[in-house]
Amino acid sequence: MVGMSVLRSAAAFAARLTPLKPGSSPANLLTRAIPRTDKAAIRWGHGKKMFVIKPSDYYDRRFLRLLQYYVLLTGIPVAIIVTGVNLFIGEAELAEIPEGYEPEHWEYYKHPITRWISRNLYDSPVKDYEKMMAAIQIEKEKADMRLTQMEVRRHMRESGDGPWFQIPTLNKDLIDNSPKASPDN
Amino acid sequence: MPADYDKDAYPEPPRKTPVVDKQTALPNPALILTKVFYYAVDLPVTTFRDVVDSIRSKNKLVYYHQRFRRVPDLTECQEGDYVCCYEAEMQWRRDYKVDQEIVKVVQERMKACQQREGDSFLQNCAREIQQFNDVTKNYQSRYGDLGAYASGRKCLMKQKERMMAAQARAW
Repeated sequence: MVGMSVLRSAAAFAARLTPLKPGSSPANLLTRAIPRTDKAAIRWGHGKKMFVIKPSDYYDRRFLRLLQYYVLLTGIPVAIIVTGVNLFIGEAELAEIPEGYEPEHWEYYKHPITRWISRNLYDSPVKDYEKMMAAIQIEKEKADMRLTQMEVRRHMRESGDGPWFQIPTLNKDLIDNSPKASPDN
Repeated sequence: MPADYDKDAYPEPPRKTPVVDKQTALPNPALILTKVFYYAVDLPVTTFRDVVDSIRSKNKLVYYHQRFRRVPDLTECQEGDYVCCYEAEMQWRRDYKVDQEIVKVVQERMKACQQREGDSFLQNCAREIQQFNDVTKNYQSRYGDLGAYASGRKCLMKQKERMMAAQARAW
């Protein structure tokens, strides 16, 4: 504390020794800080660095950074591939079907990527058509069988001489008819 | 560039631009601007296109229009023959698509004609306008209010209603 005051007084003494402007009065010399009007900021160049107090934008910037990263991770390769295909392979041109030639199912599309998808990933439309018709045929047969089964049930219940709806009864041969005068007594 | 349209199909009237008869020594700003546009925009774009075409011409791909066989109609299918109904339905859907494209083509023709003729299109494009009106009226009467779940069956029922209405009118 004492050392500080000694240093301060020494600083004030040293400041006093340096040439001061004629405008500074003796009262200013006694204060700790001598206002130096010759070194005040008149032109605002870069400005004084301020510590602006605002809420943290770390999370927002992190989100945008991660969004950008994950979008571009697949976006850039896809963009490169699509641009390359459009530049170097190019779309197909329309042509008449040559005589006696059956084009493959992918040769009916224009864009090379569509052709590739149709060739490698999808079934041919003919196969899809046939699959649908097979499904319809199976369902039709199931429906017909169900209808006939209903019809047969009706007949079996009505006439009762079929294999269905038979209730098992005792064997008539086991009945002892010896004490009876006639079998129905 | 893809092939331009057939110039004989929609013949343009002969040009009436007057012969250039320059009587001043001042430069023509329109000429300067066209030249600037040519060298700054047209030439680079055309050379780029030529470069890309020369790379593309090595692997040329072709595509075809698919031809479908005609199958029996919905009216020619038996009562429970669902496979036949499915094939007829698919054929009806393809025909629906084709009819939509036909309407679009006729509409394009009428629009092109109107663009060409300018203000006197009502008189000069009467044929195209008449064709467009006919085609759209037929399309409306056949496929008109079938909606998004349109099917061959619904279209057939609509035709039946049309025939019944025509018969009622005939009486």
